[in-house]
Amino acid sequence: MFPQTATVRGGLPEGMPEQVELRQVPFFPQAEYQCGPAALATALSAAGAHVTPEELVPEVYLPERKGSLQVEMLAAPRRHGMVSYLLEPRFGDVLREISAGNPVVMLYNMGVWSFWDAWHYAVAVGYDYDPGNMILRSGEIERQEISFPVHELMWKGSSYWAMVVMPPDRIPATAEEGRWLSAVAALERTGDARNARTAYQTFLKRWPDNTNAEIGLANTLYALGDLPGAEGVLRAAALRAPDNPIVLNNLAQTLSDQNRDAEALPFIERASRLAGPHAQAVAETKQSIVSKLAAQRGK
Amino acid sequence: MKSSFAGLVVRMLIALMIWTPYQFAQAGMIGTDQVAQQSAHSDRSTVMNFVSRADVSGQLQALGLSPATAKDRVAAMSDEEVRMLSGQIQSLPAGASDEWVWVLVILIIAGIVWWAWKR
Repeated sequence: MFPQTATVRGGLPEGMPEQVELRQVPFFPQAEYQCGPAALATALSAAGAHVTPEELVPEVYLPERKGSLQVEMLAAPRRHGMVSYLLEPRFGDVLREISAGNPVVMLYNMGVWSFWDAWHYAVAVGYDYDPGNMILRSGEIERQEISFPVHELMWKGSSYWAMVVMPPDRIPATAEEGRWLSAVAALERTGDARNARTAYQTFLKRWPDNTNAEIGLANTLYALGDLPGAEGVLRAAALRAPDNPIVLNNLAQTLSDQNRDAEALPFIERASRLAGPHAQAVAETKQSIVSKLAAQRGK
Repeated sequence: MKSSFAGLVVRMLIALMIWTPYQFAQAGMIGTDQVAQQSAHSDRSTVMNFVSRADVSGQLQALGLSPATAKDRVAAMSDEEVRMLSGQIQSLPAGASDEWVWVLVILIIAGIVWWAWKR
């Protein structure tokens, strides 16, 4: 009846304490219908961004729906320089994040009876393994204890949806390499190059061989105007991944932007010999480098 | 037929006008969001992204947001998130519940669990 709770019945994974409570996580009592902003303010503040639920209302609350969508709960932390990460739907992962010091935003639904949906966001800040209780910041209740089975029934209604909010210099305890990289790239996409740069650097300390993360780091450095920095990262990447057209293209462009087109030419020529979805972008870069060289010669 | 085509063109133009500044910031550099792209139809998927972003923004406005607020909120989403929302905002869950509902439901579920275990 309680498959998720059953996964931890035999004991917690090694190294996880039986009792955890993140007492320092702040509490924001929710205004009417606004558990989304309240839960998110709790998680963001714990991650080091100081925002109130009122400030988050225009970022996640939907007036006509009287609530907040999951996608927007994931998107809004990026506006505060944070990386949001959707957890795998596993109870053990939720406990592991809590024991690593990361409060977990949970979505519950009491849609046990299909005619009555009651969605609710709350933040899990602790657990007590022996009696089997979760500790939540929820709605107007600063410290709510719920037994594992009751918690599981409520969580099941959202197909076990849970997320964490991380500052760019930290990685969730349960992060999976590819999904965490997408989470960082989503922060970069919002235009926050400074925090995305930190997040890529943190990522590469953990997974130093990830070429896509190197491309991301170089792109944030480029966006911040640090061309020598971007060049250094891409040169290192090109040594390990000599056939990656994006690395070669971006390295050539970075050199060209520093008016070193003669140096850029062999890289872009190498890139243009590789087929792939980026062939057109590569051809355009090559065109621009070749014509810059021709203009220099014409002088 | 002709007017629906014209409608599509107009929608795409509006979408391009609204979203272009976000997408073409770095000419010459291939963006990190294109790393995973496998198909050769990158131009088409870029245009479709514009359209879905404009769509989601329009739906958010229909649910009570101002155009500027809706645009800022869509700008914080990844392409994948936009695709998830596009066309189904009305049917997706929105966490909301009132406090008394929440407490009542916990009591009811706790009662059921207790009953199931005592039996």
